[in-house]
Amino acid sequence: MTGFLIQQLVNALTIGAIYALIALGYTMVYGVLRLINFAHSEMFMVGGHVAFFLLAATASLAGGPIGVLVMFAVFVATFVAVGLLGVGIEAAAYRPLRHASRLAPMLSALGVAIILQNVVMLFVSRRPLPFPPFLPAVSFKVFGAVVTLNQIFIVAFAVALMLALAWFVNTTTLGVKIRAVSENPQTAQLLGININMPISLIFFIGPGLGALAGTLYASYYGIVVFSMGFIVGLKAFIAAILGGIGSIPGAMLGGFMLGLLETFGAGLLPMLTHGLIGSEYRDVFAFSVLVLVLIFRPAGFLGEAVTEEGMVYKRDF
Amino acid sequence: MIRKLLVAVLGGAALAASPAFADIKIGTAGPLSNAEALFGTTWQNGMQLAINEANAAGGINGQKLVLVRQDDQGDPKQGTLLAQKFCDDDSILAVIANFNSGVTIPSSDVYNRCGLPQVTNSSNPKVTAAGYDNLFRPIANDFMQGGAPAAYALQTLGAKTTAIVHDKQAFGEGVATVFRQNFEKGGGKVTSYSGVTATDVDFSAVITQLKTENPDIVYYGGTMPGVGLFLKQLRDLGMKSTFFAADPAFLPDLITTAGPANAAGAIVSFQAPPYDANPKLVKFKGDYKKSFNEEPGPYSAYGYNEAAVIIEAMKRAGSGVTRETIVKELRKTKLDGLMGTVEFDDKGELKSPTLFLYKVKDNDFVLEWPKS
Amino acid sequence: MAIVAAVVAALFHFVPGLPTYYVRVIDTVLIYLLLAIGLNMVVGYAGLLDLGFVAFYAIGAYSYAILASGQFGIHLPFGLILIIGGALAGVAGVLLGIPVLRLRGDYLAIVTLGFGEIVRLLMNNLVWMTNGPQGISRIDQPFLFGFALKTPRDFFLLLLPLVLVALMLAWRLECSILGLGWAAIREDQDAARGIGINTTLVKLLAFGLSATLGGFAGVIFAGFQRFVDPVSFGFWESLTIVLIIVIGGVGNLVGVVVGAAVLIIVPELLREYSEYRMLLYGCALVVMILVRPGGIVGRRYNPAWIIQKLGWR
Repeated sequence: MTGFLIQQLVNALTIGAIYALIALGYTMVYGVLRLINFAHSEMFMVGGHVAFFLLAATASLAGGPIGVLVMFAVFVATFVAVGLLGVGIEAAAYRPLRHASRLAPMLSALGVAIILQNVVMLFVSRRPLPFPPFLPAVSFKVFGAVVTLNQIFIVAFAVALMLALAWFVNTTTLGVKIRAVSENPQTAQLLGININMPISLIFFIGPGLGALAGTLYASYYGIVVFSMGFIVGLKAFIAAILGGIGSIPGAMLGGFMLGLLETFGAGLLPMLTHGLIGSEYRDVFAFSVLVLVLIFRPAGFLGEAVTEEGMVYKRDF
Repeated sequence: MIRKLLVAVLGGAALAASPAFADIKIGTAGPLSNAEALFGTTWQNGMQLAINEANAAGGINGQKLVLVRQDDQGDPKQGTLLAQKFCDDDSILAVIANFNSGVTIPSSDVYNRCGLPQVTNSSNPKVTAAGYDNLFRPIANDFMQGGAPAAYALQTLGAKTTAIVHDKQAFGEGVATVFRQNFEKGGGKVTSYSGVTATDVDFSAVITQLKTENPDIVYYGGTMPGVGLFLKQLRDLGMKSTFFAADPAFLPDLITTAGPANAAGAIVSFQAPPYDANPKLVKFKGDYKKSFNEEPGPYSAYGYNEAAVIIEAMKRAGSGVTRETIVKELRKTKLDGLMGTVEFDDKGELKSPTLFLYKVKDNDFVLEWPKS
Repeated sequence: MAIVAAVVAALFHFVPGLPTYYVRVIDTVLIYLLLAIGLNMVVGYAGLLDLGFVAFYAIGAYSYAILASGQFGIHLPFGLILIIGGALAGVAGVLLGIPVLRLRGDYLAIVTLGFGEIVRLLMNNLVWMTNGPQGISRIDQPFLFGFALKTPRDFFLLLLPLVLVALMLAWRLECSILGLGWAAIREDQDAARGIGINTTLVKLLAFGLSATLGGFAGVIFAGFQRFVDPVSFGFWESLTIVLIIVIGGVGNLVGVVVGAAVLIIVPELLREYSEYRMLLYGCALVVMILVRPGGIVGRRYNPAWIIQKLGWR
């Protein structure tokens, strides 16, 4: 039994780390623009594909210390490439709508998501592409559970990225500007901050993190396919809400929480209900938790307690 | 003078209106832009191959065949709209539609109303439940796909227990249900019957549960990429049970997704004999690769077969081929096709469906049963 | 009055003569229009963003499927199920509204999204009731007042009057006290409460009425397609209905009509491009929103403007 629980815990933490990285992108964008960026899930997918082709191009250099350097170079390149894509999309599809209703940029994001997914499907590949694992398949036995090197790497790398982001946002001038703009763009402008730059930066970092999440995800599951963004994106979005949308530590917590909820939900529900509620109810479980959290604590676990008046940021229409 | 003019005009009109020189169109609708885009596109590619061959051989009495490809996104709403569109277009004389059973069932109502001969690739038994005389299914249905592997597992492998997982979609659940019924009827025990979501990538929760059951066999009813990912995780988590899957898994991507070591020994059901079993199949595989620059998809051969059935019926219908004559000729089909003999019973089902079980060995699919 | 009657009479006369495919497309537009009119009440009038509207559509559709097919062997008449389905959906709407009364803006949107997904997942998983992913097929043919509704033409003759009635009702509601109440909570919910509007009742009515319309649309859809499965009721459908309203012109019935027509007809026009269709659709979407973020039809050009232009009153 201990082995079973530990195994589920390890699985939960790994997928949770990935959700957390993607959730960061959603939460940062929402925090500053109050925009649910539907296109973010596709950044995740594009990131996986970009990394795939970079790795394929540098496959001859794999292995050994050079291989490790190449791997990190691929990470950086993917981050930058998709980050730039994010900045471009913001400039083209969201910035013109900044003063329009709240729904318009959200639906524009939807259109962008459709475009990205179809572009990849039509011009890159319809088939799932096999993604090589980053690390050799070494595994450890911990109390009867199988923990792979890959899983440890993913969790460690994701946590490192999150800590880096937290440091950046709390200590550097740019980071503080971002936080200022998140809190109140008008006041930030009054203080002389040009809000375009922090916003572009958010659209560089958020999608970049999503792309790295896509790379880690692709390496873990061994596959990258044009349709992989939608569901994972939706789940990461739920994670961001659970933790408190707009809150960076909230997104991190929410990601891990969702990972735990999902894994234990799918694993334990059948056991606890003697098969009455099967593992297919995992998603119902996750959505139900989301609905309950929103009804009783809309700000999520780490968001500031939101009063009814505080919920409306700007005119809807 | 007037009589000559009249004859000239009538003669000209007759020539112009004569359909003898118009193209014959065959419509097809399948998922081309959703998660199943790979299956739909390669399926229609197979049809295109058959049509290209027929055209190269002179077409139907000199008339060229054209394949009109449409995208239904696996959505019954779009499937029925397309069905009506095809119906209204008089130059379309037959359709190969749809791919998903959930789309074929409502669209068959529309095709039946307008009398279009419909050849379908959907395997759910309910598809032919309405008894439409214009609907034909030249492939085995789920009863076969779920039944034969169960018999093989019980008799040849001597398995006693199985765990069944399906992806909660119409096809996956359908075959899984049939497999379960047959396995239990044959005296086996089903240790668990669980569902996962088709878009899931992480099956570790379910597999961890399966590990505690330790079944002889794990049957996965579902489609790619789920089946490949499931197999990979099954082996990664240390389970050694024999793995069974249905025909969406019959493509090289299964081996690349799961990894050759993990995929070895998996049993996949498929309706065509091995690509090297007879010269027709060898030619098919070669031609497909040449035309489309990739390996045939799991349903390419099926698509080729379906188009061939229609083309053959059209040829037999002779000149002045219409929708009604094609339906009549399809009834009488007796074709030695790419996947075996095609002959329909009075419900439009295949008279003698065949199913083959392949084992993954050395990065390829090797025929396991029936051994000829 | 004469002009409108003439237009309606023309529609009744000409449309059934069109090729059946066009009639079918128009039927689809009309069904989505019913849905959009419903959603417009809650999103456009009351300003409550509902991203899970498809749930009510699904409840209506499955009501008909379960009560008029071989699933349980029950075969109730179409008219009766129309009322039952609408009522069930309406009750569901109110039940959704009660716990979310305190939520606003995006939070409300996300909860409704979650609700919509939960309903769809339940439809997929409660196999004993809904037959799960296999769906319910061979649903009974609907009969209304003795007439069989079989072909798209029959449904057009049913849908057009229904949609016209719905439009009129919605317009009357918009101008009524309830509509003013909705406008008040849309503009500023706290001020509305401050002047004594019972925001709870107003919001619940919005949810309930819109859900009922959604339920009606669902029942008709099930009778039209005679097959339901969970695939047709996903998040994507909710988004499509929201898109209809936003692209057409939020809160404006004229816009809703335009939006429904555009969003259903444009993908059909793009059919020639088969696999590139969705890509072009996405591009068209982004362009349309960038060019007219407020919707194609501005708020000014609402039915009141049309009535004024036609010289009534």
